[in-house]
Amino acid sequence: MEEQKWMLEDPTIGIIFVAASFIIFYFIGWYSAKQAKKSSDYWTAGRSIGSLTNGLGMASSYMSLATFLGVTALILKLKVPFVYMWIQFGLSIPLITLWYGTPLRRMGAFTPAHFVRERYGLRTSYVVAAFMILIMVMYALGQMIGVAKVFEMLFGINYTVALVCGGALIVGYVAIGGMYGTSYNAAFQMILMGIAFIVPLGAIMKAMGGTGWYFPPLLYSDMVPAMLEAVPDFFDMKYGFKWYFSLLPCLTIGAMGLPHLGMRIYTASNLKTARGAMVWFTFFCGITFSATYTMGFSGVFFQATSGSTIAPSDFDKITLILNSVYNAPWVLAFVIAGAIAAGLSTISANLMAIGALIAQDIIATIKPDLSEDKTKVLNYCAIMGGGLVAILIALNPPTFLVVSILWAFGMAGVTVAPLVILGVWWKQANRYGATAGSLIAGLMYIAVSPYLFPNFTIAGGLPAKLGMSGALLCVPLCFFLVTTVSMITNKIPSLVAKIPLEENKRLVDSIHGWTVYNEERYNSTMAGVIVAVVSLFFVIWSIMPSGWTA
Amino acid sequence: MNSAYKKEIRYTLIFSALLLLSGHLGLIFVAFPSLQGHMIFGFPSQYIIPVLMGWLGLMAITAVQAKLTNQLDDEIEALDGVADKS
Repeated sequence: MEEQKWMLEDPTIGIIFVAASFIIFYFIGWYSAKQAKKSSDYWTAGRSIGSLTNGLGMASSYMSLATFLGVTALILKLKVPFVYMWIQFGLSIPLITLWYGTPLRRMGAFTPAHFVRERYGLRTSYVVAAFMILIMVMYALGQMIGVAKVFEMLFGINYTVALVCGGALIVGYVAIGGMYGTSYNAAFQMILMGIAFIVPLGAIMKAMGGTGWYFPPLLYSDMVPAMLEAVPDFFDMKYGFKWYFSLLPCLTIGAMGLPHLGMRIYTASNLKTARGAMVWFTFFCGITFSATYTMGFSGVFFQATSGSTIAPSDFDKITLILNSVYNAPWVLAFVIAGAIAAGLSTISANLMAIGALIAQDIIATIKPDLSEDKTKVLNYCAIMGGGLVAILIALNPPTFLVVSILWAFGMAGVTVAPLVILGVWWKQANRYGATAGSLIAGLMYIAVSPYLFPNFTIAGGLPAKLGMSGALLCVPLCFFLVTTVSMITNKIPSLVAKIPLEENKRLVDSIHGWTVYNEERYNSTMAGVIVAVVSLFFVIWSIMPSGWTA
Repeated sequence: MNSAYKKEIRYTLIFSALLLLSGHLGLIFVAFPSLQGHMIFGFPSQYIIPVLMGWLGLMAITAVQAKLTNQLDDEIEALDGVADKS
């Protein structure tokens, strides 16, 4: 079989489509930002975004460049186990909404670190904000590098020029629009990328002989027999119970710790629209994810049945390759514009989170009395500073930062999610437990990754690289530390005297909607003991070597 | 403690279990291998059931979740302080 190295033949139409889409992004950013009346509106869009727009924006923030490039490459490599890995991402917004999104919206939070500051104090919030900024930089870096590579391919310029120009364009429209612009742009980008991904996929399926081409996300069962004949192990589960279970702490709880997802809920006009947005999110996320599996399936099918072999270095371009083989050049150009929109929607959400963390959770706490004008300047500087750092790092990225984005999810699950979840639902969680949990478990997660000490990992191979084995150990470790350290330190009067315990407890009642305080609510010691015991069980189970393979 | 508080805890635990189940059905198939290999809608069961539950199933659960938790907010507002004073 002939191995094909894929190149873009004529980029002209692609350049026109991408340039047009950027003009629209800038216009939406500029026009919608005019709604901001005060500086705090910059980070929360005046808490005015409706269900449908927010649902589109939530889905859009999640549909990164990986939807067009990385995911299909990983389906080509891992086949169906990767599909399971992706399916659970749909849980993120529903779980965030259920566990802490609406309470934090009720509180008027800007970021999850804002809640951590109110609940556990300033020092703990700095620890969490530092981890969040690291996670967001890693996340944005992957997208920035990806967008620069697409620009490099499209414009035929070198990587550095592509990165600086592309990065400046992205940072510019995010800074101009703030959360208003980001929200409305994200909604538009979701529609653009959805159409650019799914409609051409239907044409590809039709050209391949699929009869269900009119609904690509689900109707490709007629291609299954040929697939099973050509690739008999495509639907095999391959891995063991622990592999699948580790997706839960690493990616499901991990996604719950990502600040840019939580921040979408805080932009909702009220709690009902936030919950409505969650339902819309599951629809848009589900249809696009399902189409992604179809694209991955089609890629494997194409390689197995057409006699062509795609070079491993081109696995991530399978969406573009299939479009270049089966569709007209202008369709491929539209798909490239969709891919860039996907990358942009994620970077803009990342930049908003970085900017809010720097401006609201760090600088505003050090200088709380800034004037309205200075705050506005600070907001712009925070976004542009965050973007500039991401561009500079992406010029020559250190190896430890260019790890899988999925590893960063695990980091969020270890250092952020347990603190927020327990902080919202358990009054006995205190700053000592929270700081110990986030710091010790976070550092342990870094230590057991293959990026620091390659021989000191919980499980080798893919589970270690993606952070699955590390998160299986460190997420329950964080829950264990927060609960046990809190319960112990709550018995030491000299330590209790240093924290505003009553104020913290009242905050928990108030964010659940109770205006009249009741000591018994969310205050069960038994619940803390159960969480600690169950967490300890998972910590021990995670370090046992068996269970990763079938 | 009043019924709205208990309902809040109950809803959170039940919906968490349902959501986790709908997004992690692969676990069920790997724990019970006999469930694998059956053809449903032309696909192997271990593939299409998690895909459908991870999208349409999840959507149905979140729709019910949104409706019930919206009602719960109203109940909390109505019962706020009532049982605590008695």
